[in-house]
Amino acid sequence: MTVHGGRLVHSRVVADLGDVLDLALEEAITGYATVEPQDALLLDAEGVGVLALEAGVPVAARHTGTGRVGRETLAELSVPGPCRVELYERDRPVQFADDPSNRIPPGLPADRLVRDADLANRTRSAAAERGTGERTDADALEAFLTDDDRVDAIRREARTEARQRAAEWGLTDALAEPVDSDVAVDE
Amino acid sequence: MVEAFAVASGKGGTGKTTSALALGMALAEEHDVTVVDADTGMANLLFHAGLADVDTTLHDLLVEDPALPVGDAVYERHGMSVVPCGTSLAGFRDAHPERLRHVVAELAATTDVLLLDSPAALGSKSAVLPIVLADRTITVLQPTVPALSDGLKVREYARSYGTEGAGVLFNRVTDESAVERVAESSDRYFDGPVLGVVPESGAVRAAREAGKPLLAHAPDSPAAAAYRDAARTLDVDAGDADVVADRFASAVVPDPP
Repeated sequence: MTVHGGRLVHSRVVADLGDVLDLALEEAITGYATVEPQDALLLDAEGVGVLALEAGVPVAARHTGTGRVGRETLAELSVPGPCRVELYERDRPVQFADDPSNRIPPGLPADRLVRDADLANRTRSAAAERGTGERTDADALEAFLTDDDRVDAIRREARTEARQRAAEWGLTDALAEPVDSDVAVDE
Repeated sequence: MVEAFAVASGKGGTGKTTSALALGMALAEEHDVTVVDADTGMANLLFHAGLADVDTTLHDLLVEDPALPVGDAVYERHGMSVVPCGTSLAGFRDAHPERLRHVVAELAATTDVLLLDSPAALGSKSAVLPIVLADRTITVLQPTVPALSDGLKVREYARSYGTEGAGVLFNRVTDESAVERVAESSDRYFDGPVLGVVPESGAVRAAREAGKPLLAHAPDSPAAAAYRDAARTLDVDAGDADVVADRFASAVVPDPP
């Protein structure tokens, strides 16, 4: 079964995901891995956990059966015992990786599912070098500071507020520009 | 010869006090440094500097007609002068924020670098005064969007009062790449460079619990090294003493009606 198409490069029942994550990282595979814990096989639970990969780095996760996304998917997959893993390569990242709610920190699968700190660190380094990975702080900050309209609005509002408060607090004369030039504040 | 810096953030929990004391200790290797807890409503510098038990604080200098000389609230610690603020509600209630100008003017006469640990929020006159009085602001930011947004606001307030920017100190950083990518925008929005990138560190909390500045408690920690780098990047421009004294003396901060 393929959930997002692509070319199957690896399929195995494994004790943990370490080797598969390592392989994906070394080969810089873009695509996804499906993960089906053994207890799910036994219980005949529906669906699989899917880890989206960009240049070998896990960037997002969701479960096709339970609908859990992001970190919660990892919690669901974090059960002891063997699991079936399939690794697929695609020309472009899977689409669900674009949804922020599906995103995961790159090192989290290695930390949570394999408990391999070295692999987690190598994954984080690769994420930084390959310009992929968690779209949280770095992406959010960059997006924020390059959104000129948003930044200008904050500054304009603060400027107006500062001058209003200065008047309330009797600090008007300490302002750099006389109050008369306020005309420009709300330009 | 003195340059006064407001260590500001616009948001609590970014590590302003830790930063003010750490920069102070680092700068004290070359300059006479005085660190003042100008957060008169939520003082905490005294806990960081082992001064929790002292009798005289900034609060005593801000009362109407203070009986004590400014020097009574100045404590020599870790190679710098530290002016803590008290934590009692009564002390805060009786404090006249505008008197901070007189205190700062007097301290300025005997030091090279004045670091004013400033309140997080800008909701009162006492909170904004350190920014009004300072020559430059050091904006302490965690690399998150809310912190940046609040930092922009503080910077804009400072700019309104003609207070220049010394740059940004990113603190409690867990993902250095986040900072690298915004560094080039820093100058544009914060009127100065990224002074330093201080990693999140357990040593900071341990130092606070020990009642010591980070550079005294864990001088070899990566965070301490980052603060020393930041202090080197901060190009102190101590102005002419007379000009500075005159500026503080003439700063227009009227007494309340």
